[in-house]
Amino acid sequence: MDRTADPGLLPQGLRDILPPDASFEAAAVERLLAAFAARGYERVKPPLIEFEDGFLKGAGVDVARQTFRLMDPESRRMLALRSDITPQVARIAATRLKNAPRPLRLSYAGQVLQVSGGQLRPERQFGQAGVELIGADGPAADAEMVLLAAEALAELGLPGLAIDLNLPTLVATVARSLGFDDAAVARLRLVLDRKDEAAVRPIAGDRAGVFIALLRAFGPAEEALRRLGDVSLPDGARAELAQLAEAVAQIRRHAPALELTLDPVEHRGFEYQSGISFVLFAPEARGELGRGGRYRTQAGESATGFTLYTDTLLRALPRPAPARRILLPADAGAEEGARLRRQGWVTIAALSDTADPIAEARRLGCSHLLVRGAAEPVETSRKKR
Amino acid sequence: MRAEGAAALVMALPKGRILEEALPLLERAGIRPEPEFAREDSRQLRFATNLPGLVLVRVRSFDVATFVAFDAAQLGIVGSDVLMEFDYPELYAPVDLGIGRCRLSVAEPESLADEDRPERWSHVRIATKYPELTRRHFARRGVQAECIRLSGAVELAPQLGLSQRIVDLVASGATLRANRLAEVETIAEVTARLIVNRAALKTRHAAIQPLIERIREAAHAG
Repeated sequence: MDRTADPGLLPQGLRDILPPDASFEAAAVERLLAAFAARGYERVKPPLIEFEDGFLKGAGVDVARQTFRLMDPESRRMLALRSDITPQVARIAATRLKNAPRPLRLSYAGQVLQVSGGQLRPERQFGQAGVELIGADGPAADAEMVLLAAEALAELGLPGLAIDLNLPTLVATVARSLGFDDAAVARLRLVLDRKDEAAVRPIAGDRAGVFIALLRAFGPAEEALRRLGDVSLPDGARAELAQLAEAVAQIRRHAPALELTLDPVEHRGFEYQSGISFVLFAPEARGELGRGGRYRTQAGESATGFTLYTDTLLRALPRPAPARRILLPADAGAEEGARLRRQGWVTIAALSDTADPIAEARRLGCSHLLVRGAAEPVETSRKKR
Repeated sequence: MRAEGAAALVMALPKGRILEEALPLLERAGIRPEPEFAREDSRQLRFATNLPGLVLVRVRSFDVATFVAFDAAQLGIVGSDVLMEFDYPELYAPVDLGIGRCRLSVAEPESLADEDRPERWSHVRIATKYPELTRRHFARRGVQAECIRLSGAVELAPQLGLSQRIVDLVASGATLRANRLAEVETIAEVTARLIVNRAALKTRHAAIQPLIERIREAAHAG
């Protein structure tokens, strides 16, 4: 332990969030949850830590790699500190709420901790807010997820949103029908995730054409679907695409202007997704705002959902106007303070009399001062004297 | 918030070897930098092109990948050696430009190469500009590689006793021969790639995709 280290130093990827950002984040999360609740998504609150085997059951390898473990001195079992909330909500749906009527709509918000930060997001602790729609198959449920994400973010005032639709199972479906083994599928995925056209041919040989066509289909959703229509694909892949086309049509009916791209080969981060998935981008934020998609719960139920990363989201949102702060003299009545707060003021009570209340108001970041029952701007009240 | 407004796309080009071949290729794609770009000693960092929505920056080759990964530049040209070293998940490499051809190889002193038995290695010490890639390459064969990171003059390492073996780019092999080193294994063939930032391609598809197509055609025509 380096005893000379500054006491303010935190471990890498962790930080204190200060005013006004902390309250900005809390308010944004509450508004997201209100948008989810208004559409019937009821809030659940899983614990921070749970048994490792329960947490990791059904979750992707990526989650396992990112999870801190510790030993529980009580039960002597390994515990996992959640690195993702989705597996917890899926567990709740598969166990405690297994008899609740389907489709089951749940929402959540909370902090997660990951072993290492990402390239674009060095944060190891960050907030997640999201929903899960459990026990509903079909394009209507997929469309509901995309639309809910778009509406909730629009209600929050996000300027500009781009949604990239993905079909992470498609490449494997096509490759298996062409006779590729698991190792070849894994290698194909790796190069397709990088859109590295030149590397497809050495792996796929004379069957490379279909994968390059899938790679080049990427673009605005309707255009990409048209291009995919011209690619010769096995029946299984056709069925997956038909489902996606129907979801796109339903999304368009409600959100004709939504910026929607379709990338049929994107698979990174979708290791445990079993169908239509999507990533949310905002031109104002670096990297992903959130992601979602279809998966199976540990009980084998089909489910879909999405998660927003609140730290990235805040970077893309317009800053709120600073609160109007007013300094109340020490002798101000309780009723006066209450009246101002009802009018939207933030009241700062002087704890003792000061010789220069104007200077005191400035020092405490107040734009106004209560003088004889009226709010006076600090600047003009100085000039009057 | 991104410093660069939505107006101009930035393309990062590497200084040196690849740049000489990249400029004629860009020319064929209809992308011409302002004259100042050709001056090696120019202090200017950003250069306009004949396309109003595209500016060029000239940075070190390893930095091209970093600029594009963080969306400071949306497009870039970089050797596949750099992509293998960093393996940034935020990068797409849609076009093999077929320029800057060379290979990434393991080399050791000629005197050692004669009786060396690579299949018996359990641990090797290697001087290289590519520690990540080297570690991964040897780990796949069950060999632990202890890498010493250098920024240049890697061929000096065996002579001065820093390490017996090196991993470096080999074009003609002349530098290796001059330093009495023998190539014992090729790790990968290297060519330059057009790279694109993942989020930028999704959110600014209409501006970026036509550039990719133009450069793809120019690369295939070359």
